[in-house]
Amino acid sequence: MKISINWLKEFVDVASDPRQLKSDLTMIGLNTESFVQVGDDWVLDVEVTTNRPDCLSHYGVARELATLYRLPLKRVEVVVKEAGAPALAAATIEIADPDLCARYCGRVVQGVEVGPSPEWLVKRLEAVGQRSINNVADVTNYVLMELGHPLHAFDLSRLNQRKIIVRRAKPGEPLQTLDGVARTLNPENLVIADGERPVALAGVMGGQESAISSSTRSVLLESAWFEPVSIRRTSKSQGLHTEASHRFERGTDIEMAPLALDRTTVLIQELAGGEVLRGMIDVYPRPTHRQDLVLRRSEIVRILGAEVSWEDVERIFRGLGFQPERRGVEGWRVSPPTFRLDVSREIDLVEEVARHIGYDRLPARVRPVLPPVERDTTRDKSQTLSSLLVAMGYHEIITPSMVDPAESERFANCTPVVLANPLSQDASAMRTSAVPSMLRAIGWNLDRDLGDVKLFEFGKTYNMNSQGTPEERRVLMLGCTGHRRPASIYDNEANLDFFDLKGDVEAIMDAFELPNLNFEPSGAPYYEEGLSGRSSLQGAPVAVFGALRQDLGREYKLRQAVWMAEIDLERLLDFPQRSRKFEPFSKYPVVERDFSLVVPDAVPYSHVSAAIAGLALEEIRGFRAVDHFRGGAIPAQHYSLLLRVTFQSKAHTLTSEQVAALGAQLLAALEPLGISLRG
Amino acid sequence: MQREIEDIFLNLGFRIEDGPEIETTYYNFDALNIPESHPSRDDWDTLYINSTIVLRTHTSPVQIRSMEKYGSPLHIIIPGKCYRHDNPDASHSPMFHQIEGLAIDRDITFADLKGTLDFFAKKLFGEKIRTRFQPSFFPFTEPSGEVSISCIFCGGEGCRVCKQSGWIEVMGCGMVHPQVLRNGGIDPEKYSGWAFGLGVDRFAMMKYDINDIQLFFQSDIRFLRQF
Repeated sequence: MKISINWLKEFVDVASDPRQLKSDLTMIGLNTESFVQVGDDWVLDVEVTTNRPDCLSHYGVARELATLYRLPLKRVEVVVKEAGAPALAAATIEIADPDLCARYCGRVVQGVEVGPSPEWLVKRLEAVGQRSINNVADVTNYVLMELGHPLHAFDLSRLNQRKIIVRRAKPGEPLQTLDGVARTLNPENLVIADGERPVALAGVMGGQESAISSSTRSVLLESAWFEPVSIRRTSKSQGLHTEASHRFERGTDIEMAPLALDRTTVLIQELAGGEVLRGMIDVYPRPTHRQDLVLRRSEIVRILGAEVSWEDVERIFRGLGFQPERRGVEGWRVSPPTFRLDVSREIDLVEEVARHIGYDRLPARVRPVLPPVERDTTRDKSQTLSSLLVAMGYHEIITPSMVDPAESERFANCTPVVLANPLSQDASAMRTSAVPSMLRAIGWNLDRDLGDVKLFEFGKTYNMNSQGTPEERRVLMLGCTGHRRPASIYDNEANLDFFDLKGDVEAIMDAFELPNLNFEPSGAPYYEEGLSGRSSLQGAPVAVFGALRQDLGREYKLRQAVWMAEIDLERLLDFPQRSRKFEPFSKYPVVERDFSLVVPDAVPYSHVSAAIAGLALEEIRGFRAVDHFRGGAIPAQHYSLLLRVTFQSKAHTLTSEQVAALGAQLLAALEPLGISLRG
Repeated sequence: MQREIEDIFLNLGFRIEDGPEIETTYYNFDALNIPESHPSRDDWDTLYINSTIVLRTHTSPVQIRSMEKYGSPLHIIIPGKCYRHDNPDASHSPMFHQIEGLAIDRDITFADLKGTLDFFAKKLFGEKIRTRFQPSFFPFTEPSGEVSISCIFCGGEGCRVCKQSGWIEVMGCGMVHPQVLRNGGIDPEKYSGWAFGLGVDRFAMMKYDINDIQLFFQSDIRFLRQF
């Protein structure tokens, strides 16, 4: 809301210091972002929150300032000079829907001369961002900006039967509004109708046919109170937001209606001449009565943490138009004004006190609280993972949750959660998979010649379950491409491969105490056959990883191999972090033996290692595959595996017989897999 | 950044809470005193799934969920992704991150709100930072406020960033509205509380002098390597 300082001064004697006013208004909740000089005036840009329609006017802002500066607020006094016939003989007003229109005041001015407005009026309106139209329309806008009450002027001669009926529109009724748009109305829209048809969209915009024109001689002025929710619905469904609807949907002052009407009438007569017919038509079926509120002194202390003197509380309320009445030592009975529909509870009164005492004058304290006994370990676990990944050279990314559903569909077989009002097609559904976002992130970097990238994302995937309820799952997505090791004077370059990725996944799994974790070949259909795998826990995968299929890579314009892993955090984070415990080491020597094995192709290394681990022999300290090859003397459909095993006892030095016996046990365990010692 | 903010409150005895990003209009709006019929609902440009399910526009629905789950006393902080119907540009993103704090107990006053947030701002931006509280309006708090900190770039002298005012608005806050407490199953006559909410992305932009919010979501390794 643009507020002119000169205009304010008509109601309260403030100093013309825009900087000071900007700061003071902000500190009572009327956030003022900026001000500009307009001729000999300053105009402030005041941000009025949705709860304060009373401040969408110069008079309302003046009231706040008068209270703050302890200055008197000038009253708006109007004397209407009436003459001629009674207004009621010239026009009739009827409210058919009193639930949606609680009051309708009207006056008739006859014999006006419609023409341009005087310069002072044009300037005032321009200063607050309003365009001048003609003297009659300008006066209604002027009073709107001054008192905050929307008014409308009809050309009385254009109203059939010189009649106003406030009613709901009939289905399909047409109305051409002042903006030139031909609208089709429905019964949700409240209209001002004449004897035959709608002539205005009530509280939103007038109609073209009954508008004031240069030929207008008789004017019917409207000053009404419309129900906020109905105005809001109409304004939304017609896509029409106006200065009037903006105020009506926030709630206007029902008692301001007659005063604003008289103020308008007097100004119109002054500028356009004419004769004001006798009497105001005031249709007000059920005068409103506002409930008094109780304010306890103890409540002020309980909420604000400070005592406020009786006098300060009463001064603030009187200044703001409330009537406080002391009730013993307890507090007050406060009657709120009709222009403050936002004040309906005790807490609203406490806020008024806080606002005008000044938040900066209220005390402050810091009190730590006892932390909860049970600690939420989810955050600790995520942080462990995050530190681990950063140490492994990964960078954390955050990617948009909203994607193109067609893309997401290829990477997850579930129903997406689709937006009803998306910003664009490529952000029209919640992602069902984190894979495409990772591919785009890697692609972004490759497109900029950044070829070595290791990324991770803690995110969510979303889907609609079979009951039509949205579900969210936490996932950890890894993606990497490029070199494991760039070329240097010490070493040749080496590219990342499947085992780097698998190693990283194992390191993540290793941070948790996981029962029976199995690595299995074959991950997901979008990974290369033979270059993918998954880790399963209790029969269900917890991690799926692999090399992106080449054809998909080409589709995403990725020029090099991309490795990815998806880790299901919903499951992983349920397990405890690996607890560390010191294990005393053996002081006896280590014996190393190599076993050259012939293994059928169908037996992967994981089966070999599972069979050895299954022996649970304390003396086998470790084993690893050091070489493998095919062909030569090795029979077809078999490969040779060189297994290096370390033996060590905690109790004594192992003799060569004992090592041989342990070796025999190991071979015996491998025999059922069809594995034999190479001859 | 998020971790830094979380740590300050964890050290004050707060616990971290989480909630769904796909929310019902009840938790996102109605339970927070933002009825469909009030213009205040327009302050949130919302992405809808259907008429009763939305992408949460703020982390505040978790306030109600936590009140229902734990009752009072409650001292929590709620980080998470939020969504608005905003076209992306240098200072807007349809997806962004918020952190919300909530304290409910007997004898919690506006003084606790002011003191705690002043402590927080000093911890995060340095001991020399001053805070300023000005009245504002949020349907779910009353009295409501905006917190400004003395400009971290010019120290309050006035510069381009603070638009010569010496202050930068950093978060919204207020005393939890009695109706919101009641909606969460807490008796507002016995208990009171305060809450605040801030945009993590904006904080990070301010602290690290980042000029474009889109950088957070592009995954450019040249950006990532700097942190």
